[in-house]
Amino acid sequence: MRKLSLVGFVRIWLAIATVVASLSAALAQDRPRVVAVNQALQSFAEQLLGDAADVVFLVPEGVDPSFWRPSIADISAVQSADLILLNGAGFATWVDRVSLPRSRVVNTSKSIEDQFIYTETITHSHGDGGEHSHEGVASYTWLDPMLAIAQAEAIAAAVIARDLAPAEDVETRLDRLRSDLTDLDKTSQDALSGLEGVAIIATHPRYQYFARRYGLMIASLEWDAGATPSAEDLADLKAHLAQNDARVLLWEAHPSQEATALTEALGLNNVVFEPWASAGSQNSFIEAYKRAVLELSEAARQSSN
Amino acid sequence: MKRHLLTVSLITLIAAPFAAAAHQLVVFASVDCAAVTVEAKFSNGRVTQQGEVRVLDGENNLLTTLELESDGTVLVPLDSVDHSGGLLIEVDTGSHDNYWIVTPEDIARKCGS
Repeated sequence: MRKLSLVGFVRIWLAIATVVASLSAALAQDRPRVVAVNQALQSFAEQLLGDAADVVFLVPEGVDPSFWRPSIADISAVQSADLILLNGAGFATWVDRVSLPRSRVVNTSKSIEDQFIYTETITHSHGDGGEHSHEGVASYTWLDPMLAIAQAEAIAAAVIARDLAPAEDVETRLDRLRSDLTDLDKTSQDALSGLEGVAIIATHPRYQYFARRYGLMIASLEWDAGATPSAEDLADLKAHLAQNDARVLLWEAHPSQEATALTEALGLNNVVFEPWASAGSQNSFIEAYKRAVLELSEAARQSSN
Repeated sequence: MKRHLLTVSLITLIAAPFAAAAHQLVVFASVDCAAVTVEAKFSNGRVTQQGEVRVLDGENNLLTTLELESDGTVLVPLDSVDHSGGLLIEVDTGSHDNYWIVTPEDIARKCGS
């Protein structure tokens, strides 16, 4: 048998690599594409679909997906998706400003509309989204793990109905996700029990469903995520503190050193609880949630002693 | 103090559906092969009788500016603008503003291509 020269070997290796790369690219192109309007839904869809589809969350890091203003190209990308996962509950105002293909749109909170929390109207301005209102319905439904299960079930049903992945696989993954979220709920119940009367303040109105699920009293400010509080913000906080002696301040992202110092000087214990709407979370939804709950529990118990 | 917070929470949960009535500007645009019809009204049903309509392309370049008619609508003839990259329609009444996005696919779909 003839020996294979080094050049021949490299040629063959390159040919194989080219074929594999082409096949991978073709398979990736052939995979269904799912668009989600927040990171929590993206995470649930990824867990349910596995490698069967690409799950896309288009909102850039640092932009509030509730008030994201998409480009025309972004909407073209959404319109061409095989499945479009909406959160409902008024989340993502852009969905009412574009034409979406109804047959491919799923409102994941449709089955839990009777559990929506209605909120006050507050108009304000921050970030790129211009002046906007938090009004009507609290949007962060998935922060109640039981509601998150309902949303995951809606995604699974849509995936199966559209044959985007084998039904058996999706159902097995749904069982796992349901179990993880039920465990998370149990952990949260255990960690937060007895804190019903402890006053907590959040820097932004995100935690209504979380508070209701665990019987917590969380008042909300309207601070800009990630920004150092202004003098007006601090005056607002002091007004809240004058009404209740809250000692825990919930942040949706890590506060700056200056913000930490300013709030600690007011006797507040800062806790970060990523609501998993925006891009950029490092841990899984379950891990981030669990960690936040345990930190909140510890901070609240310290302050109530 | 606790009672106060609880009261605030209860008011928020129970009475808030009635507080959600603050009106917003609602903008809608429909496309046929000849024009984009822009409609603007307030969420309380009131017709928007005047307002500036800005038409931008996919790169946010201003293509044209029009005024709303007294019935809250305006037509943007497609042959008056370069719509190949889609159109962003902004309506500004001075006190309220909102937008609608028309993609190239929206236009192509209506033109049967």
